[in-house]
Amino acid sequence: MTMESTLASLRDVNSRYGMFHAMTDDTEPGDAEFLFSAKDNLTSMDMETCAGSRILAGYRPNFDATAIAKMRAAGGKLVGKTNMDEFGFGTFSANSGYEIPRNPFDTERSCGGSSGGSACAAIAIEYHVSLGVSTGGSICCPASFCGVYGIAPTYGRVSRYGLIDYGNSLDKIGVLSARAGDLRKYIEVIAGRDEKDPTSCVQPELRSGKVKVGSVAVPKDGVQGLSKDVESAFREGLESLRSMGIDVEEVDMPSFKYAIPAYYVLATSEASTNLARYVGMRYGMQEGDLSLKFDDYFSSIRSEGFGDEAKRRILLGTFTRMVGYRDRYYAKARQVRQLVIDDYKSVLKDHDLVLTPTMPFVAPRFDEIERMTALESYKADYLTVPPNLTGMPHMSVPCGYDGNGMPVGMQFVADHWNEEALFSMAEDWEAGFTLRRPSA
Amino acid sequence: MDRQTVERVARTAHIWLTEEELDKYSKDLGDILGYFELLDEAPECDSHGIDPIGVADVTRDDEPRMDGDPDALLRGMNTYERYVRGPRLS
Repeated sequence: MTMESTLASLRDVNSRYGMFHAMTDDTEPGDAEFLFSAKDNLTSMDMETCAGSRILAGYRPNFDATAIAKMRAAGGKLVGKTNMDEFGFGTFSANSGYEIPRNPFDTERSCGGSSGGSACAAIAIEYHVSLGVSTGGSICCPASFCGVYGIAPTYGRVSRYGLIDYGNSLDKIGVLSARAGDLRKYIEVIAGRDEKDPTSCVQPELRSGKVKVGSVAVPKDGVQGLSKDVESAFREGLESLRSMGIDVEEVDMPSFKYAIPAYYVLATSEASTNLARYVGMRYGMQEGDLSLKFDDYFSSIRSEGFGDEAKRRILLGTFTRMVGYRDRYYAKARQVRQLVIDDYKSVLKDHDLVLTPTMPFVAPRFDEIERMTALESYKADYLTVPPNLTGMPHMSVPCGYDGNGMPVGMQFVADHWNEEALFSMAEDWEAGFTLRRPSA
Repeated sequence: MDRQTVERVARTAHIWLTEEELDKYSKDLGDILGYFELLDEAPECDSHGIDPIGVADVTRDDEPRMDGDPDALLRGMNTYERYVRGPRLS
């Protein structure tokens, strides 16, 4: 597969799976060395950037996100901006003001979310790497549902300059690909200090050696509530790890069960303040009735431009920050986040990595998703949320397929700044695992 | 969450809700906050920051500089001459 033939087939692939919100018209790669796509909440000068929201319709940024700029500087050609849940608010990429990406293994099913379009592109297009963003599981979940490798590095490892924020204390930019080696290769490209994002300036140098993973810990709460197919693929995955000479031990992590409520309090609190800037002026939707008083103008644009889940999260986040409720929710959630960090740190003193399945079930069908309540879909994130709360690097690797051929993933977590252990684990795992591509 | 609270929160957040949305969010947020009661059971913890890692301030010399082209910024905006159009203030 050459870059020319990939570019020539791009529209056809997109019409089948709907992974791109915007895409290139170019048919020649020019002097590009590789092709990549990026989640549509990363700003790009040459393509509209909407983050899945109608309120940003028509927004053409005049700068590239640092991660995109670094990919271009390394020889990458941006071929598309990938579909996603509005502002990252979802587990299935179905909360979108635009097209919902369809799983290449079964187009009646979800790609996962919120970086669903990125995972879809990574499995459906050969030799493709996609930039995703994770706040509470938005890289690992779609990587698992689409059967690819996906890594969210340590919080602060990759500059967030040019990222349309969801939750500032949680957002991380990472990489999805069907090849394990791409995690190391492209995290090396996009990592590094950037004065435009102070959070990125505290990072130690990215180590990128080959290390031997000797032991993994499996939290007992992380193997509860699994579907039969996921449980059996995960158990087989554990056997494979043992046959690779890796010790597997079950451990207690008492804070695990508090992670979901803590995450949704923190994430929606931050989101509700971040989204206050979208008022129909300066970018995106601006066609409101300017004769209205400013309060009414802002409200009219926001009521029309935000989708159902964005409104729900804004309401929730606004409520939990209100006088009288702040200590009960926001302050307590911050304490719980520290307890979760302490639990992981304690387990990682004696083990190299923490391991769970990535999602409790395989990619659900869209009709099943429609029947889920908001709370049910939040709870589905109980395995991906804990590592995201900690800011620790984590990744999903494909570990098997169910009876219908749908992929199952498992999720490894390493200590802060120890991406090296994940790169090595992914490469060792790939050596013994046969990844499947969907039949076209 | 009762409808009056949802209305009050929505007003603070600058979102108008239809009757149908008020009913829906009232139920959804009630369910979600009910689940959040789990937080009350969690142990307390003295040391906690805003970010999951230690973050330090980064400053640069206080010298004016232009990172982008102001005209390019105005390109996508609803403008009058070089002003951004906005709604009435009163």
